[in-house]
Amino acid sequence: MTSLTDRYVAATLRAVPASRRTELAEELRASIADMIDDRTTGGQDHAAAEREVLTEMGNPEQLAARYSDRTLHLIGPRYFLLWWRVLRPLLTYVPAAVGVIAGLVKATAGDAPGAAIGTAVVVAMQTAVQIAFWLTLCFALLERSQTPLGLPEWTVDRLPEDTHDRQISQPDSVASVVFLLGTIGVLVGQHFQHWTNDDGSRLPVLDPALWSFWLPALIVVLAATIGLEIAKYRAGRWTWPLVAVNALLNLAFAAPVVWLLLTDRLLNPELIERFAWLREGGADDVTRIAAVVTVVIAAWDVIDSAVKARRATH
Amino acid sequence: MVSDEVLRTHLQELRRGTVVVASLVALRRPDYGYALLQRLAAHGFAVDANTLYPLLRRLEEQGLLTSEWNTEESRPRKFYRVSADGEAVLGRLLDDLTAVQTSVTQLIEGVGR
Repeated sequence: MTSLTDRYVAATLRAVPASRRTELAEELRASIADMIDDRTTGGQDHAAAEREVLTEMGNPEQLAARYSDRTLHLIGPRYFLLWWRVLRPLLTYVPAAVGVIAGLVKATAGDAPGAAIGTAVVVAMQTAVQIAFWLTLCFALLERSQTPLGLPEWTVDRLPEDTHDRQISQPDSVASVVFLLGTIGVLVGQHFQHWTNDDGSRLPVLDPALWSFWLPALIVVLAATIGLEIAKYRAGRWTWPLVAVNALLNLAFAAPVVWLLLTDRLLNPELIERFAWLREGGADDVTRIAAVVTVVIAAWDVIDSAVKARRATH
Repeated sequence: MVSDEVLRTHLQELRRGTVVVASLVALRRPDYGYALLQRLAAHGFAVDANTLYPLLRRLEEQGLLTSEWNTEESRPRKFYRVSADGEAVLGRLLDDLTAVQTSVTQLIEGVGR
């Protein structure tokens, strides 16, 4: 029969690197025996003394951790703040964006607008759980391997900017990015989710022929605009280079759209065929209004950015 | 009156580093784990066994202690003694302890004045 001491020593050694086990076992055994002897010479029963000594030594895993200098926390003070700083934005924006996209896809491609909100919430939550798990795992591994990350020391320059002189607020930027993602989602979605007609047949709103080049090109421009939003947020204000990029992106979006509208290549011809009011001149009105609105929005956006850049530099 | 818990943590903090100093001083005379524990306790350093034993090994790994197995007695025991490096580090630690004591004394006198 194995004694409590044997079991205690074995339990301790299990959590200690193999190379040090033999010597440590002998030393630990001797120390425990010394402690027990001390108590039995005082007249105590051996079994009771053993119990008392092992209780005093405490949880063997904790003892092993002390022997091998191992941490007993998942993420310690060394990495905690970095982990938290990385995790926080990832747990807000990413699940929100993924949820919105999943909802849009469900509503359009999946053709189930009613279930879209539920899908968005479930997908957002799953994304959040996945992000939290994998990120925490990475940091826990870093903590265990004691890998130096060589991160720059904190300096006063890293104090957060006074938000009062920020021209670009975080909610604004987030809203813009979500809107752009949503637009991309709609562009993709409308191709698969089709306009419902009285007879139950379905048609894309935009000409399916545009898939070969123009729609992907517009989506690329929108994606670039997301990049601009991020750059703008990081700069905190409109700068002249940002205004130039903004003008370029607006032009890259509005010019093809207007040209496609005016050459009657944007709307799906089958859709126009389907509706009497579109067929009888309605399509021309829609085209003209859409072209004007596109130009006005683009121009307004460029002028607005230029005015703000001017204000920021003065 | 502050809670015992608060007082206990502060005393613990204050005592933490002194265990190393006390062990290095005591191990100028070679000794094994439990005997050292008892000697320290007798001199007012109440250290837990599960703190002292790992500490001895760590100090050995750092080269501040050397060890030798003694098999002459009833059971083989690992005897630790302070190394030359350990003696040097101990010297610095004792100097610092004195410096802290001096500073505290001066501070007390300064406040009293």
